[in-house]
Amino acid sequence: MTVLNGTWPKLTNSDEFRFLSDLVMTRSSADHTIVSLRDHHAGTTRFANNQVIQNVDARRGSLAVTVAFGGRHGTAGTTDFTAGAIQDTLARAERIARISPVDPEYLPPPEPCQFPVREPAKPETMTAGPAKRLEYANEAIGHCRMENIMAAGVVSSSSTAVGIAADNGLFGYEQRADARFSLTVQAGDATGWSAAAHRSIDHLRIQERTLAAIAKSKRGRDAWELPAGHYPVILEPAAVAGLWAWLIWSLDAKSYMKGTSPFAGKLGQAIVDERLTLNNLPDHADLLGEGFTHEGLPSTSSEWIDHGILRQLTYDRFTAKEHGVNTIPTLEAPALSVEGPQAHSIQELIRGAEHAILVTNFWYVRPVNPRDLTLTGMTRDGTFLVEKGEIVTPIRNFRFHESPLQAFRHLTAWTAPMEAVTSETGKMLVPAMALPHFHFSSVTRF
Amino acid sequence: MSTPAWEEFAELALKRIAASGAEYGDIRVQDSSTEHIQGEDRRIASIRDVKDIGFGVRVLYHGAWGFAASSILSLEEVPRVADLAVEIAKSSASVAIEKVRLAPEPVHRDRIVTPYRLDPFSVPLEKKTDLLLNTMALLQRKSGIARSSASLWARRDRKLFVSSEGTQVEFDLLAGQGECTATALCEGRFASRSFNTPHLRKGYELIEETDFLREAPHVADQAVEKVKAPAVDAGRYDLVLDPEHLSLTIHESCGHPSELDRVLGYEANYAGTSFLTTEKRNNFRYGSRHVSLVADNTESETLAGTGYDDDGVMCQRWDIVRNGIFVGYCTNREVAPKIGESRSCGSNRADGWANIPMVRIANIGLEPGEATRDQLIADVKRGIYIEGHGSYSIDQRRYNFQFGGDAFWLIENGRRTHMLRDVVYHGITPEFWSSCDGVADRSFRQRYGFITCGKGQPGQSGWMTHAASPARFRQVQVIRGEGSS
Repeated sequence: MTVLNGTWPKLTNSDEFRFLSDLVMTRSSADHTIVSLRDHHAGTTRFANNQVIQNVDARRGSLAVTVAFGGRHGTAGTTDFTAGAIQDTLARAERIARISPVDPEYLPPPEPCQFPVREPAKPETMTAGPAKRLEYANEAIGHCRMENIMAAGVVSSSSTAVGIAADNGLFGYEQRADARFSLTVQAGDATGWSAAAHRSIDHLRIQERTLAAIAKSKRGRDAWELPAGHYPVILEPAAVAGLWAWLIWSLDAKSYMKGTSPFAGKLGQAIVDERLTLNNLPDHADLLGEGFTHEGLPSTSSEWIDHGILRQLTYDRFTAKEHGVNTIPTLEAPALSVEGPQAHSIQELIRGAEHAILVTNFWYVRPVNPRDLTLTGMTRDGTFLVEKGEIVTPIRNFRFHESPLQAFRHLTAWTAPMEAVTSETGKMLVPAMALPHFHFSSVTRF
Repeated sequence: MSTPAWEEFAELALKRIAASGAEYGDIRVQDSSTEHIQGEDRRIASIRDVKDIGFGVRVLYHGAWGFAASSILSLEEVPRVADLAVEIAKSSASVAIEKVRLAPEPVHRDRIVTPYRLDPFSVPLEKKTDLLLNTMALLQRKSGIARSSASLWARRDRKLFVSSEGTQVEFDLLAGQGECTATALCEGRFASRSFNTPHLRKGYELIEETDFLREAPHVADQAVEKVKAPAVDAGRYDLVLDPEHLSLTIHESCGHPSELDRVLGYEANYAGTSFLTTEKRNNFRYGSRHVSLVADNTESETLAGTGYDDDGVMCQRWDIVRNGIFVGYCTNREVAPKIGESRSCGSNRADGWANIPMVRIANIGLEPGEATRDQLIADVKRGIYIEGHGSYSIDQRRYNFQFGGDAFWLIENGRRTHMLRDVVYHGITPEFWSSCDGVADRSFRQRYGFITCGKGQPGQSGWMTHAASPARFRQVQVIRGEGSS
C-alpha cells in the first residue's frame, strides 16, 4: 500500500457531519443542543543538523456535544465516532448539564445564518503527504549543505474538517488546510531564520526563504555587545507581529468592561500612531480566514483600529448582548497597515536610518504588566546595528521591556504590509517599521 | 486498564513492523479522560468532560524514524497506520546521514497504577461546583475585589505500551489540581493573587486535603494589599524565593538547558538550544556549592514519576548539578549514546497517543540545605521575598532570564515587612545560581507540577514536577515591571 501521496485519511464530510449531528439532536432531551466537529489530519517533517529527525503523520477526529437545560449547561467530547460512543458523549453532557448550577451568562445557540463561503482548503495542501513535505525539507537542507551551514526546521501541512450544528437549525461545515515552513540556520555562533504559513503549500517559497535565512546567519558572525538602553529600531514583519499579537490578544471586552484591561476607557480613543489601521480581512488570499467561529458566528471583514483609534473589542456573546453589540467582530485574519508614503523594502528602511537596531524576530514574548501591556522578550536570529544607512555589525541579543502601546505611538518609517508568522503568533499581514524609541533592558551572552 | 482488543491491536501493528524489516517499533494505545470545571466571577462558566482515545505507532527503519497515529481504533485502521509509519520511516531513511542507534534497555513487563483514595471522576459534580462557587464567593466578599476565578482539573490516562523488543507496560495514571484567583481594583490599577494546589498524581484527596475556603480570604486580602502596595524601586536586592516560585526558575534555567536533544540541536528551530554544551559536563560551575539539582522520576505522586517513559525505559534518579557543578542531562534512548551513555535515563515522553515522544525535563528539584526559612530572611538587610509564578521569559540558549512572581514582600533588616508590586528580576543563569548562599531544610520542601511545558514541532505539552525548599540569592538585579521609562 502506498499512502505517502496523501490519500489517507478521508476526513468527515458535510453529509457525514450532518448525520452525526442529527444522531445527537434526535436523541437529546435538552432544551438546546450544539454539536461541533474537528477532524484534523496533520503531518510534519522536522529536520536538524541537516537531516530529518522526525517525520510524523496523525489524524484525530473529535466531536463535542454541548447541551443546556434552561441556564444549566455542560459539554462532553470524544474522539470515538461510533454510535455507542456518541450516545455516551451525549449522556455525559446531559448528566453534567442537569446538575450544573444555572449560569447567568448562558445564551442559546446563535440563530442560523448564511456563513460566508471561502476556500480555505486548497487541494494542493489537502493532498500534500509525507513525500511532498520531505521534498521541501530536502530543498532547504540542500541549500544549507552547499553553504556548509546547519539547517533545522519543519515543513508541515494539515487539513481539518470543521463543523457546527445546533437544534435551532444552525449548521456550518468547512474544510480548512494550511501549510507551514520554518527554518533556523546556524553558521557558527550566528543564526538566521525565516518562516511562512499559507493556505497553499505551493506558496511557502522554500528557496527564497532559505536563502534569506542563510544570508542572515552569514551576516551574524562575530557579534558585538552593545549596552542595554533606549534605541531607535527597525522591526522586521515577524518582530512587529510578535508585539501586535499580544495587543490583539488583550482586546477582551469583558476585561475591558470590568476595568481589568490595558485598554480600559480607551475605546474610541487613540492608542497607537494615527496612521496605523488594523483590519480583519478573512477574504485575503495570504491570510488564514475562516467562514465561521467555533461558536457558530460568521467571520466577516471588520475594522479594529482606525487611524490609531481603538474601534472594536473581542466579545463573548454574553458581554456583546449586555452592551448592545449586535454583530460580534472576529479577528482571525489580522492585517495592519500604515497610511502614507511607504519604503519599498526593508533595505530602504535601513538606508534611511542614521542609527538603529535591526530586529529580525522576537522570542519568548510574555506580558510583564497587564495594566499597561508592558511585555518582555528576546531578540533572536539576527540582530544588527545600523549606522548611516548600513548594517555595520551583528550584535548580541537584547532583552526588551516595552509596551506596544508606547512603542507604536509614533512611527518613523514603514513598508507595505508583508506576510508574517512566528512560532508564537498566528499569521498576519504587517509592515516592517522603524520606531524612534525602543527599550532594551539587558543583553545576553550571544 | 487495557483491553484484550488493545493487545490484539498491538500485536497486529508489531507484526506489520516486523514484516517490513524495521529494526525497532512500538505502539502506544491511550484512552485519556479530562474533567475541567472552570468558575469565573461567581458562576460556573464551563464544565467539560473530554475523552481522547487513539494510538500511535513509531518505527525505526535503517536508522530513521517514522510515526503515524489515528483516533480510529479498529482492526482495519491499525495495520494501515502501522504501514504508514513504516513508509514514512523508509522515506526518512532514504535521506538519513547519521543513523539512529538506540541505547539498550532491559525488557520490562509491568503495570503502573497511580495510588489514590478518592477517584476524582466519581466525586459528585455538585460537590465540586459548590466548592468553586463558595470559594469565589469568599474571594469576592472582600471589598476591592472586582473579579474571581476558581477551577478544578482531573485527568486519567489509561495506556498500553508495547515494543518490538518485548517490553509491555500498562498504565492507569491519575493527576489533578485546583486553584483560585482574586483580582483587586484600586484607582485604575488592578492586581491578582492566586492560590493553587500543585499538579500531582493523586486522587481527589489532593483537593480535599486543601482548605480552599480557609485560604480564599487570605488570597483576597493579599490581592487588595498588592494593588495598593508601593511599586518596587529598581536596584540590586537579596531575594528569598519560595518553593512554588523556584519551581519555575528551576524549570526554565536548569530543566530546559539539561535536555540533551536541545544541546544536540534538535530544537534549534523552535524551543532553542542550550548553553550546557557537552564539553561543560563535569567541569562547569553552574551554581554555588549550595546548589544541587537532582532529577528524580522515581518519586511517587510526581508528574514524570510514571514508572516507565515512552521508550519503555524504567524511571530513574540522577544528578544534574552536584554541589554547583553541572554533571548530567535528561536523555532518551536515541540521544544517550551520542554522549557515550550506555543507558537512557528515561526522559522520553509524548503528550498523548497522537505525538511522537521526545526528551523531556525530568522531575528536577533543588536539594534541601540546612537553614530555616526565617534564618534565610534574618540574614537579609534589604531584600524581597517572592511567592508564586508571574511573568517569565528566557533566551533560546537559557542564559538571560526574567521572572516576576505572584506576591512580593520587602525584607528590611532581617524582617519581612509590607507587600510590593511590579517586581521583576533578571539575570544570567550561572551567575544567578552562583549567587545562591542558602537553601532551607527538607521540612520546607514543596513540589509543584507543570502540564503546559511547550516544546517540539508539532507542539507538545510536557508534564513534570519540580521540588524545592526556599532559597536565598544575593544582589540580584530587580527592575520595575511597568512602562518603558
